Amino acid sequence: MPPAIVVEGLGKQFRRYHTDRPRTLKEVFVRRSYRLRAVERFWGLHDVSFAVEPGEIAGIVGGNGAGKSTLLRLIGGVGRPDQGKVRIRGRIAALLELGTGFHPELTARENIFISGVIGGLTRRQVAQRLDSIVAFAELEKFIDSPLRTFSTGMQLRLAFAIGVHTAPDVLLVDEVLAVGDLAFQKKCLERIDQFKSENSAILMVSHDMGQIRKLCDKALWLRRGRLVGQGDPDEIVDQYVAEMETETRRHTPIDWPARIAASGRELRVRENRFGSMELEIAAVQILDRHNRPVNEIRSGEPLCVEIAYSAPKRIEAPTFGVTISTEDEQVCADLSTAAAGISMPVLHGEGRITLHMERLDLKGGLYYVDVGAYTKNWDYAYDYHWHTYPLTVLPTGNNKGVLHPPHHWQLDERPQ
Amino acid sequence: MKIELQRLVYLHDLLRELVVRDLKVRYKRSVLGFAWALVNPLMFLTVFYFLFKVALALDIPRFGPFAFTGMLVYTWFQSSVLQASGSITDSRELIRWPGFTAPVLPVVTVTTNLVHLLFALPLLMIFLFFEGTVPGRVTLLLPVVIAIQFVFTLGLGYLVAAGNVLFRDIEHLMGVLLQLLFFLTPIFYDISLVPERFQPMYRLNPMMHLVQAYRVILLDGTSPTALSLLQLSVLAVVLLVVGHTVFVHLSYRFVEEL
Repeated sequence: MPPAIVVEGLGKQFRRYHTDRPRTLKEVFVRRSYRLRAVERFWGLHDVSFAVEPGEIAGIVGGNGAGKSTLLRLIGGVGRPDQGKVRIRGRIAALLELGTGFHPELTARENIFISGVIGGLTRRQVAQRLDSIVAFAELEKFIDSPLRTFSTGMQLRLAFAIGVHTAPDVLLVDEVLAVGDLAFQKKCLERIDQFKSENSAILMVSHDMGQIRKLCDKALWLRRGRLVGQGDPDEIVDQYVAEMETETRRHTPIDWPARIAASGRELRVRENRFGSMELEIAAVQILDRHNRPVNEIRSGEPLCVEIAYSAPKRIEAPTFGVTISTEDEQVCADLSTAAAGISMPVLHGEGRITLHMERLDLKGGLYYVDVGAYTKNWDYAYDYHWHTYPLTVLPTGNNKGVLHPPHHWQLDERPQ
Repeated sequence: MKIELQRLVYLHDLLRELVVRDLKVRYKRSVLGFAWALVNPLMFLTVFYFLFKVALALDIPRFGPFAFTGMLVYTWFQSSVLQASGSITDSRELIRWPGFTAPVLPVVTVTTNLVHLLFALPLLMIFLFFEGTVPGRVTLLLPVVIAIQFVFTLGLGYLVAAGNVLFRDIEHLMGVLLQLLFFLTPIFYDISLVPERFQPMYRLNPMMHLVQAYRVILLDGTSPTALSLLQLSVLAVVLLVVGHTVFVHLSYRFVEEL
């Protein structure tokens, strides 16, 4: 079977204009500013070639401005490439900006028809799928209510439900799987898996490396418009993450005053502290159920990690992460604001973000709570504290195995 | 063949959904709703009636239907071209949607405004009836004239829609030009009132010929000359071909400019 997506030597130039480029005729005539021509051209994408087979999921990874969205749009036929070509077999659909064509004053039903038709279905096809779309979005009761009465979550569910009902041969997905609650996310992933089994080719952009490893059959790595690697997702993601660590080291200042952390340990840059320091983690406290700072808890007790940050400059949507690992680098928990689907605002000034764990059921032993703040796309860390905050978990009873889950026994006996 | 038919069905559905959306959205939560399509020209008409029939006392028979015909025809043209100029610049998210057929957008504006005209048409018929005019067989020519105006307006719509992406002045410029053209088109006065030496210039205005064609059919109950219809058709088709070509040629830049 021939590939569903073939991209050959694809290139796209972007133009940077004079900041005083005339946008109105008046400026052209009055100021005699003829700077209509771009002053500078640069390749937003350059010499990108790959193919995606039917039934294959390919994931694109890359930092900010690497050209991921440009690539998706060019494949979608939006804009004209300056180099190379894109060949698509079959019908194409996209989950890019969810809710395109939605109007708040119209009812959900009316919006389904509009959005479905914009997505490439005929009215008859939308009508046939209407019940299924509404059921998928779990909005049966609200079908004839105006969209403006819906919560953002409901609107996203509706938009996604329409998107996945277009039954495409080629599906483009841009970062939308991070929306909605976990149950809905799971449903969306299952649906994408179903597309795959129905032989659709899927190309997705994700910042969730776990998702790329788990879902994709291959990964494509873009760096500043060039394809620097493609192949096995695990290998590509490992390389990408390794590069992030290198990037973080590169961004880490050489001399930065050392200080004593709340745990009593000293924080020294390039030893147990890495990052560009554009956003600083000013203090980290580990709190028990009574909000008292602790360095030991009993297995199964709740735990909070309170991170005080200071952002002297505006930091756009940083990601905060906390990992809990053993002394020999076994990661037991890897939690982040991105994985939880939290969209962070622009941070400027000082503040606090707290991670609440309802219970921590680790076996007894010594652990480290590693805390980090990263750029929106995980390009590098702003500030990362490694093995600075020890945590002792006191065992309850038997202390074998990694996990000590909450449990009880039940005996159902049928005496003779 | 089958694929082409499917495509036609799809384009029809797309046009229909977008037109219905525009109409619904415009009158949602307003008490009068679609009646606004009538209220606007009627209010203008009332003022004109007072100005030209009472205050200035022009001698035009059946002035009501005469001016109303001109108003409706010109309003369709004016609103369509004005809205078409913003049809691309105001639809950023649609333009950036993979597979979206951008050339449908100016068609949507012209069609939406045509629907308004069709709503007002029965009212015009009632006017005519009270003035003693009963529509005859020549009324069957009306769709032909409407089709010519549709093509003509759409051609111009493509040009201003694409032009406005490069220079946002087009929208403002069209607002002024269309307002001026309104006065230079014989809508509330007759061409015969214009001094002889200006008449050749008047004849360069296609809208004048279109308005005249509607009036000949509706008010006089006679057919416009085949020659004038042919000239108008040729002009309209040429404009559409040019407009569409320019639009498609520029459409690759829409994504970058929006």
